[in-house]
Amino acid sequence: MSALTLQRQNDQSTAHAQAEHAAEVAQYLSFQLGGETFAMGILNIREILEYEYLTEVPLMPDFIRGVMNLRGAVVPVIDLALRFNRPRTELGRRSCVVIVEVDDPETETQQLIGILVDAVHEVLAISEQEIEAPPQFGSKLRTDFIAGMARVDNRFIVLLNVPKVLSVEEITLLASLREHPEGGGPGELPVVGDAAQ
Amino acid sequence: MSIEAGLQAFIDEARELLQQMEAILLDAETAQADAEVMNALFRTVHTIKGSAGLFALDAVVAFTHEVENVLDQVRGGTLALSDTLASVLLRCHDHLEAMIAALGRGGQMPDEAAGAALLSELHAHAALSPSQAARTAPAQTAPATADPEQHDWLLYLGLSGDLLHHGIDPAALLRYLASQIRIVQVLPLPQNWHGTGGFDPEHNYLHFALHLQGNTSREQLLDVFEFAREGSCILACPVAEASPYLQAIAAETPPDMLAAASTAWQQLGWSPQVQAAPRQEEPEASGTPVAAENGPATVKKSKPAEKSGESHFLRVEAEKLDTLINLIGELVIAGAAGNLLAKQAGSSSLLEWSQGISNLIEQIRTGALSMRMVQVGEIFNRFPRVVRDVAKELGKQIELKISGADAELDKSMVEKLGDPLMHIVRNAIDHGIEPAEVRLARGKPAQGTVQLNAYHESGSIVIEVSDDGGGLNRHRILQKAVDRGLISADAQLAEQEIYALIFEPGFSTAEQITNISGRGVGMDVVRRSIEQLRGMITIESELEVGTVFRIRLPLTLAIIDGFMVKVAESVFVVPLEAVVECVELPPEMHPDDSSNCLNLRNELLPLLRLATFFDLKPSTSDKRNVVVLQIGDRKVGLVVDVLLGEFQTVIKPLGDLFRSLKAIGGSTILGNGQVALILDVNELVQYVVMRESARYGLEKDRDPQLAALPGK
Repeated sequence: MSALTLQRQNDQSTAHAQAEHAAEVAQYLSFQLGGETFAMGILNIREILEYEYLTEVPLMPDFIRGVMNLRGAVVPVIDLALRFNRPRTELGRRSCVVIVEVDDPETETQQLIGILVDAVHEVLAISEQEIEAPPQFGSKLRTDFIAGMARVDNRFIVLLNVPKVLSVEEITLLASLREHPEGGGPGELPVVGDAAQ
Repeated sequence: MSIEAGLQAFIDEARELLQQMEAILLDAETAQADAEVMNALFRTVHTIKGSAGLFALDAVVAFTHEVENVLDQVRGGTLALSDTLASVLLRCHDHLEAMIAALGRGGQMPDEAAGAALLSELHAHAALSPSQAARTAPAQTAPATADPEQHDWLLYLGLSGDLLHHGIDPAALLRYLASQIRIVQVLPLPQNWHGTGGFDPEHNYLHFALHLQGNTSREQLLDVFEFAREGSCILACPVAEASPYLQAIAAETPPDMLAAASTAWQQLGWSPQVQAAPRQEEPEASGTPVAAENGPATVKKSKPAEKSGESHFLRVEAEKLDTLINLIGELVIAGAAGNLLAKQAGSSSLLEWSQGISNLIEQIRTGALSMRMVQVGEIFNRFPRVVRDVAKELGKQIELKISGADAELDKSMVEKLGDPLMHIVRNAIDHGIEPAEVRLARGKPAQGTVQLNAYHESGSIVIEVSDDGGGLNRHRILQKAVDRGLISADAQLAEQEIYALIFEPGFSTAEQITNISGRGVGMDVVRRSIEQLRGMITIESELEVGTVFRIRLPLTLAIIDGFMVKVAESVFVVPLEAVVECVELPPEMHPDDSSNCLNLRNELLPLLRLATFFDLKPSTSDKRNVVVLQIGDRKVGLVVDVLLGEFQTVIKPLGDLFRSLKAIGGSTILGNGQVALILDVNELVQYVVMRESARYGLEKDRDPQLAALPGK
């Protein structure tokens, strides 16, 4: 049902865009996570796959669900719900892995990361005027994870800030804190608190 | 080819030539080199100069020109290649190398003053002022190669019409020729222009025939016209040999050129005895109108020595090869999957087919991997120079022996092995080899020996650096380690453990810090680099007799022999080289909280329970196995559920996300498409040790906030 509504909005905004500022319209993929709908820009998305077997990697933070074989490349898969500090994503019939390209500023390379979501809905064209700045509080999500709030059919959908959510740097840091429990001095503790908030 | 690509090609070529030059110079220091080698030496510099001229790299041309002059004298025998001269030449080589490197980076050229200083030093050795060098050198060369029979020369220059377009002025060439040899007569021969309009001032309409007198060789004459060769036909021979020469080259030279040369030479006073030969060729060959382009073939033919050392290699971009090897890795996996399916289908013909495919894939993989293999000699080759320089700096006499340079290992490893080896060799010379007086007092020859050796041993390659120096002083190492607080004063250490101390950061037993070594940086870097290559380094040493550093490395980083084990639902791969044996875990030791040590034939074996350690789901199997691993000189037992057996596997990196995860070395894809993790057993054990000590440490003296950190 919600898919239908979104589709309608989608058409409207496309028409709107053609009339005025075609350049300001960007496309977003909307997907289901827990009971919520999120969206992210499609430019970073490589492909969407059905959930397959994952190999768990020990000694890593929980939100790294494991690694999968993507035509010969080994790609880590992240449980976004756990990353957002929500209950673990249970696998269902519509579970999907969205493969995203992420820049790693440290090594200046692109990394493929898979994200595990409950279901994928559709691609939305959302014009810039329909996007609000992230609220300062009250969104139940770290504000730096939010790129903006898109007004779609009188509801707000969170547009994710993918580079932040899948920051290789931050994930590595979390992983190393886990692996070297005695390594984190008091100075690093706030980072942990922040990340796991 | 764009200018940039051309320049890159020039830089590559120049580097190769410089390497050759260095090798020759180093050889020449030890053995008396023959004329052929000296010619080769001259040619390296000459070719660099020539190519640099094409790119208008004036600084390089000017510098190489002077060096070339001196080398020309050496080649002519008027100047002996003494030790000191070779030294200066080696420094000139370095300067050139720096220039070329600067070109490659697009950076600043090295200091011109330094170059000028080198040149004046060079001239001092050659006992010639710079201005004289060019003129006098050939004249002095002459008597050495005196051969009265070859005094009169005939030259025919069938210069290309495009010569001027290429920026080459025939007049300049002739002037230069005149500085090299006496020109008796020049006969200009106008070509293809009949004095009626349409004159293109940028087109070369002239061929030349020359009569020369002097002692020279065909090679020298052709060298003069090195840059004019393209599209031109240049013939040179002594008057006495003109007829046979024309006959000999008739097949590969355009007939009109031959005829023109023959006629022109007759005008210069040559009387052909066997005139018929070239003419006979004419009717047959007149069917090939593309005259000028065939020219260079003649010229190349006459310089066979130049390329004789070149073997038949293809240059392939490393990246292309890597892509190919990756693909073959995929093929291996896909093949294994096919094999599995065939087994499941139970069809014998299908199984046979898939076996056939597997065999082929195996061969392709071996072949592809062998393409990545290079000889260790590639790194060994730079050491004669290093040893020589370091030895001179320290005033020691060192002989370097190299053996096993043809042992092969992966290209990527060769690149990473250079620096650690360099450290070890420098250390060996500086700390290992004693000063000559001490050596003599100890009854050893004054000249120290450093030996580099490589050989294959059971699927790995071993590289040894040995010296016949003073050996490692165990007491001093222990003392130093106690002083630095690395070990307690009453610690009892095995021999290997003591030696391993020298790999600690900042550890140095040298009493004096020198330029070369003694700062205590280096050996820790050495160990780290070797470990990154999944290798091991061990030391054998006897006081006053010598030391051997032994580096053991896997042949390739891309593939390992693995041993697959299953723990709960997860499959792990253990490097086979670490596995010593497998035993069954006695049932009374199954519970995870029971004792963590096993009595293995009266040897204490600490057990590492992978399931507990990795927080895996509890296993349902009622059988447990222990994989006994050799880590350094200790043994560790890995408790797993099922042993799945040996498995050759392609390593896939896990990616940056897991870079903090040291205990897992990589991953691999199994035949069924699932990913299995490869354990890095060294790191795994280190991590366990660290975590245990941290846990007990935490309970005692850390504050509760820290103890509550995640992952604890």
